[in-house]
Amino acid sequence: MTIVLQQLVLGVLIGGLYGLAAAGLSLIFGVMKVLNVAHGELIMLGGYGAFWLFALSGLDPFAALVVVIPVALVGGAILYWGLFGWVVRYHEETRIKNSLLIGFGLGLALHAAAVQLWTADERSITTAYAGSVLDVGGVSLPVVRLASLVIAFVLIGGLHLLLNHWRWGRAIRATADDWEAALMTGIDVRRAYLIAFAIGTALAGAAGTLVSVGYSISPSIGLEWTLKALIVVVLAGLGSMLGTFAGGLILGVAEACSAMVFGGPYREVVGLVIFLVVLVARPQGLFAK
Amino acid sequence: MRPASAAAGLVIVAALAAVPLVVRREDILNFLFLVLLSIALAQSWNVIAGYAGQVNLGHAAFFGLGALVTRVLWIAGTPVVIGMIAGALVAVAFALLIGWAAFRLRGAYFAIGTLALSEIFRITVGNTLAEISTLPQTTIATYRLANRYWLALALAVLAIAAVAALARSRLGLGMQAIREDEDAAGATGVDALRLKLIALVCSTALAGLVGGCFAYYHISFYPSHLFSPGWTFDAVLMTFIGGVGTLHGPVLGAIFYVFFKEYLAIRWVDFHLLIFGALFVAIVLLLPGGLVEAMGKLRGLLESAAFTPDRRRPRPEHR
Amino acid sequence: MLHVDNVEASYGPFLALSGATLEVRVGEIVALLGPNGAGKTTLIRCIAGLLRPRAGGIRWDGASLANVAAHRIVERGIAVVPEGRRLFATMTVEEHLDLGAFAPHAHAGRVQRLEEVYTIFPVLRERRGQLVRALSGGQQQMVAIGRALMAAPRLLILDEPSLGLAPRIVESILGVLGEINRRGVSILLVEQNVQAALVLAHRGYILESGRIVGEGTGAALMDDPHVKRAYLGPLALRH
Repeated sequence: MTIVLQQLVLGVLIGGLYGLAAAGLSLIFGVMKVLNVAHGELIMLGGYGAFWLFALSGLDPFAALVVVIPVALVGGAILYWGLFGWVVRYHEETRIKNSLLIGFGLGLALHAAAVQLWTADERSITTAYAGSVLDVGGVSLPVVRLASLVIAFVLIGGLHLLLNHWRWGRAIRATADDWEAALMTGIDVRRAYLIAFAIGTALAGAAGTLVSVGYSISPSIGLEWTLKALIVVVLAGLGSMLGTFAGGLILGVAEACSAMVFGGPYREVVGLVIFLVVLVARPQGLFAK
Repeated sequence: MRPASAAAGLVIVAALAAVPLVVRREDILNFLFLVLLSIALAQSWNVIAGYAGQVNLGHAAFFGLGALVTRVLWIAGTPVVIGMIAGALVAVAFALLIGWAAFRLRGAYFAIGTLALSEIFRITVGNTLAEISTLPQTTIATYRLANRYWLALALAVLAIAAVAALARSRLGLGMQAIREDEDAAGATGVDALRLKLIALVCSTALAGLVGGCFAYYHISFYPSHLFSPGWTFDAVLMTFIGGVGTLHGPVLGAIFYVFFKEYLAIRWVDFHLLIFGALFVAIVLLLPGGLVEAMGKLRGLLESAAFTPDRRRPRPEHR
Repeated sequence: MLHVDNVEASYGPFLALSGATLEVRVGEIVALLGPNGAGKTTLIRCIAGLLRPRAGGIRWDGASLANVAAHRIVERGIAVVPEGRRLFATMTVEEHLDLGAFAPHAHAGRVQRLEEVYTIFPVLRERRGQLVRALSGGQQQMVAIGRALMAAPRLLILDEPSLGLAPRIVESILGVLGEINRRGVSILLVEQNVQAALVLAHRGYILESGRIVGEGTGAALMDDPHVKRAYLGPLALRH
């Protein structure tokens, strides 16, 4: 029984990161109808950012968030100006198609660049307290992963507050609901897109940092995390950040259950299968409006 | 097809077919084999994405299914062509499953559904068929590269012919209408779902055959490698760089891509992906017509620079 | 104040406006009338900056609106209440009104303006915390108008505010428009309810098949035989 509980707890711990990863993707897609399939590569880059900060200057990865998040914000703005901002002049379907292609190429290039720069080896940040474990009723909670879950939740909670109480947060929501009406209300929709994209990228960077300390990173985690994020977005639907977080937890738990039933190697498959099942069984389309 | 082009095409095919009879060097044959197979693979992606406008990000799934089924059947004793057909059918079956579900929805569902499918296969096959697949000694002893070469040539010709026929057919025109504006096409009576599914069947059947040919060619590989995203990348890159939605685009793109990939791979392993990825993004944003468009513009520039009164006007782009 | 000069606009190959000219002067209520598909909404979209005319010009306060982005047109004093209201599905009444004052010039004085809007539409004050999709059609229309008013417009444009609403509600909304006009806001009203619009309006234009085919004072148009036959008589088009 304890083993089952242990697996479920571990599932919840990583589920929080799935939720964080998905939140960024969901925000960007919900607001600008751009699907950045290189989102996972951005997470990967965030992870490497934290890793090198730690390796070169000893900066604690949790503290590194203070560096990674602003850098990722700026990075997101640059990606918007340089790449994704160009597709917003198209109508929705072409926008989605072109953003898929651009994301595809971007992901490819980033992955290859990472391999060139840092080799394909797996990396992980091992801090002094990395081995600490909290024992709760026979279940061990790795402190690092627990802290990551808490931080993920705080970030998403923060995003939720931003979207509800910040002037531009509301503008972003309005743009997501009806961009023409937003324009007619005096909202600079392009600026809303930029802000949403930057925030989404910042969340990806943060997720990557948390992944690098509690788990491990390598250039190839990009595709994996993009898919995780997509699965959660499809499960949870668009619109609610807290709902997306919950979706992430659900995926984490589902993976844990599947690993217990079918064995470890099939952990990844269950999420993808769920995704396809949702695709077939819920034809009203969570992506289409 | 215009008589001049058809004649030129036949000459090229005949010349290519004669190569194994004249050239003995295996590295040249291998290189040409790769080019021909790549042309076929690129054209297969071109059908669904370039003509019907549906972006398939999991093309590897169908290549892999064709390859896996062919390999298994062929090693078990089935004639390879039968195996390849079986492989193509299996690929089509899975494609229809995804397509039927995803095409009724708009947006990104199809792209991501195929991506998910190819990853599911890669991981599952990687777990269940983890050992390397190697041809038995008897087969290796009687291995003739020329056969593989001719098969690849046949597939390349088939792929190009199929796209050429499709492009000018009513089906093809309907597909292109969907690609431009699905709503408008629907309003003029085009059955979008049916056309998308037809395009999908052609695309994945071809991809399955290409996979089958690969399985026939490669002496040993890890089965999960058949579903590697790299196959999708290759197909997408080649098609786009050459010119998506055109007949010649994938051909040009495949030649360009294979050549540079082999050249760059000598120096750096995965670096070509960085360059091609960046090039691809630039093309999507700036020159969606790829090399074909670039060449058209170049030709236009040259012709206007060297304009003489009795020079014939450039022929319209064959799309 | 607002001059629309011979505007032509098309959606792809389809020519929706083939030369529309109209004018809204300070303090006026101008009605824009015409059948379905005449191009009224197209013209509004051109003024709002959502659609670029392919010929002709639109001037506001003497300056051309030709390449002005839609959100900046709001800053210049024009606010649009779009057809079908186009509210934000996930937001409350108060969030809508707050967003209405998003433009920089509207930021100052928004607390006061919010009070004014609640005074004009008391029911919105009662329901300020509710999601707009829980409101009735008439209340939603009030939110849409309120949102536009929060931008402190000098010209308020409404596209079919009476669509789908019961006559009593339409009456009350049009009454509110009169009140708003008395407070100094000019109004351009697109309406299919010709009767009610002409009673309210100082002047009106008739748009048919993309062209202006008639104009005059409210009273004059009501007496116009063509208008009577096409829009007011027993065979008139009903919405």
